[in-house]
Amino acid sequence: MTDGPVALVEDLDYYTQMWNTIADYAVIKLDGEGLIRSWHTGAEHLTGYTAAEIIGQPAAVFYPAADAAAGLAGADLRAAAEAGTYATEGWRLRKDGTLYWASVALTAVSGRAGSAGGFGMIIHDLTVVREKALTLRGLGQLVNSIADIQVIRVDCDGLVRSWNPGAQKLTGYLAEEVIGHHVSMFYTEDDARSGVLDREMHAAVRDGSMEAEGWRIRKDGTRFWANVVLSPIRDDHGEVEGYVKVARDLTERREQDRLVQRQRDEILDLSTPVIQVWDKVLVLPLIGTLDSGRAARLTESLLERIAADQAEVVILDISGVPGIDSAVAQHLLETVEAARLMGTDSILSGVRPDTAQSMVHLGIELGGLRSRTSLRDALQLALRLVDERASSGDEAGVRA
Amino acid sequence: MPDQSAIMRMGRDLLVILHGDLDDRTVESIEREVTSEVARTSARGALIDVSGVDVIDSFVAQVLARLVRMVRLLGAEAAIVGIRPAVAITLVELGASMPEVTTALSAEQGMARLRRMRADDSARIDHGNHR
Repeated sequence: MTDGPVALVEDLDYYTQMWNTIADYAVIKLDGEGLIRSWHTGAEHLTGYTAAEIIGQPAAVFYPAADAAAGLAGADLRAAAEAGTYATEGWRLRKDGTLYWASVALTAVSGRAGSAGGFGMIIHDLTVVREKALTLRGLGQLVNSIADIQVIRVDCDGLVRSWNPGAQKLTGYLAEEVIGHHVSMFYTEDDARSGVLDREMHAAVRDGSMEAEGWRIRKDGTRFWANVVLSPIRDDHGEVEGYVKVARDLTERREQDRLVQRQRDEILDLSTPVIQVWDKVLVLPLIGTLDSGRAARLTESLLERIAADQAEVVILDISGVPGIDSAVAQHLLETVEAARLMGTDSILSGVRPDTAQSMVHLGIELGGLRSRTSLRDALQLALRLVDERASSGDEAGVRA
Repeated sequence: MPDQSAIMRMGRDLLVILHGDLDDRTVESIEREVTSEVARTSARGALIDVSGVDVIDSFVAQVLARLVRMVRLLGAEAAIVGIRPAVAITLVELGASMPEVTTALSAEQGMARLRRMRADDSARIDHGNHR
């Protein structure tokens, strides 16, 4: 290429065209006074000013009012003039008054012989990038501030990619001990072998997220009962790039649940005692209200005792039951029926006058169930029934 | 009859031991063999042991009630023995508690009940004659 005027013009055309295609940067020439001397479509796009409006204006118009008043524009130019180049980030102002976060690079350009020096200014709008970075940093801080919950990122191969203080507290591992290791290190041997993680990942991708509970192992070898939620991380194209794993220690809650269950069982056991009062005669003293849970339990324990003791007669004593409604009566009759199927007769005892009235008014049908008012009478009847059966049937026995 | 089921004679009574899975086909052969055996031996009672039956549901409960009726038609008494606690609860929940069927806890008790039923029966007849 010759160094003639034609080539220079061609170069200028070339650079002008290139300039005009830059859309997200403003590349502006300032003179030695800091006045704007060139403009292009990218700059117009970024700031909203047209060339006619801006050429000749000081660079301070890009600064927010407070910064401009403080002389920040001049300070920036002086910094560039001293060091040759100067880069900064900060809020800048558009024509419409909105702000954008800009990365600004200033370069001092010394003029050719006879022409004054100036500056090249490149402005890049980083508002979106800054937002994303802040969001990420906020999320990171959020995750790190969770002290009791493990929030970690796992890649598609199951390798740990991030760690938080909650994870450290939960498992006892430091970040450097786990990053890059397979998460199966927290699983019980059986779970790790049977490929629980693969199944969990599969379920998480299929359903959007997966929640499970199970034993996990700490660094010191102790185990804890964890609630785990696994969710896939997808990229912009919807491809799974990894997983977020959130785990909580529920050991204590599980222990409490089991304790409550055990106590409930014990109370049920205590509230449904079956007493053997005589050879082959059982008494079931019913006390308190009978809900369906207790009634089922009661039937069960009574039938077990019938089988174990080969009881011929069972006395159901209801003198301790505050009121017999149709639901309670239904439970009682079912118990009587089940006992009969096993070959055992039942006697109802402790029926008070008001109970007798309400049972008949409620239309409760006792069928062939014998009933006595006192436990003593019921026991006498029971003994007669047992005797009667023992008398081997060679002679007709006593009828109840 | 299913493989391990058996009918044994005990004096003037029969002990029918049912075992395994009771389906339409086996039920038919059980009914055939029990009725013919009651008739052949002129049995006075049949005690049906169901403790070895795999599943006792409302179908089996119907079968048992039917078997008892057949035995009674042949002039014998019948009782069922060996219903376990869980089965008893299930049958009551299904509403299949076979109210007309006599039950017993053990074979011994069952035999005693068969004898008692006969004694009651003859006592009733005697009573009627005296009147």
